[in-house]
Amino acid sequence: MSIYTLGIDIGSTASKCIMLEDGKEIVAKSLIDVGAGTSGPQRAIEQVLAEAGRTREEMSFILATGYGRNSLEEFADDQMSELSCHGKGAGFLFPEVRTVIDIGGQDVKVMRVENGVMTNFQMNDKCAAGTGRFLDVMARVLEVDVEDLGTLGAQSTKYVGISSTCTVFAESEVISQLSMGTDKCDIINGIHQSVASRVAGLAHRIGVQDQVVMTGGVAQNTGVVNALQEALGREIHTSPLTQYNGALGAALFAYQKYLKAQK
Amino acid sequence: MSIEVLLKEFAEVSEHPHHQIQAFKAEGKKVIGVLPYYAPEELVYAAGMVPMGIWGSNKKTISLAKEYCATFYCTIAQLALEMLLDGTLDDLDGLITPTICDTLRPMSQNFRVAMKDKLPCIFLAHPQQRKPAFGLQFTMDQYQHVKSELEKISGNTITDEALRTAIKVYNRSRAARREFVKLAGEHPDVVSAVSRSAVLRAAWFMIKDDHTAKLEALNAELKALPPCDWKGCKIITSGIICDNPKLLQIFDDNRIAIAADDVAHESRMIRVDAAETGDPMMALAQQFADQDYDILLYDENSSQNRRADFVVKLVKDSGAQGLVLFMQQFCDPEEMEYPYLKKALDAAGIPHIKLGVDQQMRDFGQASTAIQAFADVL
Repeated sequence: MSIYTLGIDIGSTASKCIMLEDGKEIVAKSLIDVGAGTSGPQRAIEQVLAEAGRTREEMSFILATGYGRNSLEEFADDQMSELSCHGKGAGFLFPEVRTVIDIGGQDVKVMRVENGVMTNFQMNDKCAAGTGRFLDVMARVLEVDVEDLGTLGAQSTKYVGISSTCTVFAESEVISQLSMGTDKCDIINGIHQSVASRVAGLAHRIGVQDQVVMTGGVAQNTGVVNALQEALGREIHTSPLTQYNGALGAALFAYQKYLKAQK
Repeated sequence: MSIEVLLKEFAEVSEHPHHQIQAFKAEGKKVIGVLPYYAPEELVYAAGMVPMGIWGSNKKTISLAKEYCATFYCTIAQLALEMLLDGTLDDLDGLITPTICDTLRPMSQNFRVAMKDKLPCIFLAHPQQRKPAFGLQFTMDQYQHVKSELEKISGNTITDEALRTAIKVYNRSRAARREFVKLAGEHPDVVSAVSRSAVLRAAWFMIKDDHTAKLEALNAELKALPPCDWKGCKIITSGIICDNPKLLQIFDDNRIAIAADDVAHESRMIRVDAAETGDPMMALAQQFADQDYDILLYDENSSQNRRADFVVKLVKDSGAQGLVLFMQQFCDPEEMEYPYLKKALDAAGIPHIKLGVDQQMRDFGQASTAIQAFADVL
């Protein structure tokens, strides 16, 4: 009989679920674009169960992670930090991974992974610079969809420097550039380089080793990925499951914990 | 009294220091506020008054103090001034303002100006060169100034005999606290990180005889316990202060025990005792001269990275698996020392994390993630 485990990643801006069969096969996934403190987690759970045609009772172990992981105490069997889960998920998708860079909605994390296990990490300080929130703020000022930033930034022809130290000041810089008539694509490219510079600084604190994998929603932005590759001088690997990586790690840990409990 | 009852009593004092001040005043005692760091509290005690440690607040927000402070002053100093301005500390009879860090030095003048006719502020400048004879003399002169100002406030003369008695009381308090730190590290199943902090924090708000009596009783109970088979991990804490119960609860929730500490508010202030014989003023000056391994203290051999080596040894000797550094926002000395500490920890293979904190933080979501992940790594 198959063993089903569920990983739930409740982030600051999105809720993601992954259901695994026997700790190997992804049988269903869901993503709702709102996170902790909203209806997002519940809706993501309902969606993933419906997609798989399974019930809560059929889940052998449910593990929550992410910023809102403690809000599912009654539903989940256990919770773990998203750092451990991102390390685990990346190790599953990329067995050779040594460095995981996760840019989430409100924080940036860099993890060293050895043999699929996180052994060291760094997080950003209390500052939105370099995070998904930073990109959201800039997209709003530029009146473009955050999903389009990658494509637009690729059309840049001129370097425009944007401060990498503070979201508020960087926003002022963007407004200043717009008022001077600077091309939006160039500004966007500058924003991507600003994020890359900030994240690369964090990554260097623990030392960057190949293979480098980028996870989290921002990994879908090719502009940031390319800028970060340039800043680190290394190839960065991403996956179509990038946004689900934390939930995947949680589902993998859930499977391990279930097996351990059976012994 | 049971361990639980004793811990509860310390927690009550730690959470409500203003109740302590009110009780002292009701008994007709005079109370002297003592700011960080290394103020000779023994002089206050010998003058027949009660010293009350002021290390900011975890419950206030900075508003009135902004009139006096640059944005980049640490919250400990700013919140101390806030409490002086908003009436929280109106019952104080005086204030000792040490000036050993770059924020407290200018802050001493802000305190003086802000409290002009309201509260006597006693300026205390420790010397950088604390070990040579001229440094000792400088400390003696400064302590003499503090002594005479305290005599004015109390109306009592501080005799050598009273000061020697005070030194004995404080040595006994420091010894009890050192022993408690060791016992708490050995029995984290009984003394949580939250409780441990409350016991040490309460020492700043109680008359030392009372705190020591309770603490010695607690230590005796802890010593009688069987060895603890701790299933979680153990770490060392480092930094200026980490006394926020909400933050420390994260350690307890993740079964992370504090084996020992390198925290200014806790062990850094109780490492060295004063001589109980001879000239008591010289004994206090010598006690300050004997302090070491503190970021705030001048080290003529700083190139040897002695402090970082000391911390590494502390981690190893205590059986801890890692270190958590609480980096106070805008604390220049701690920030500047960090690369050297990191270098030594990395060289020794000791994992660590640095958590940026300030006393106005109310949400610890990010710290919770980092601490939980650190427990996974350990």
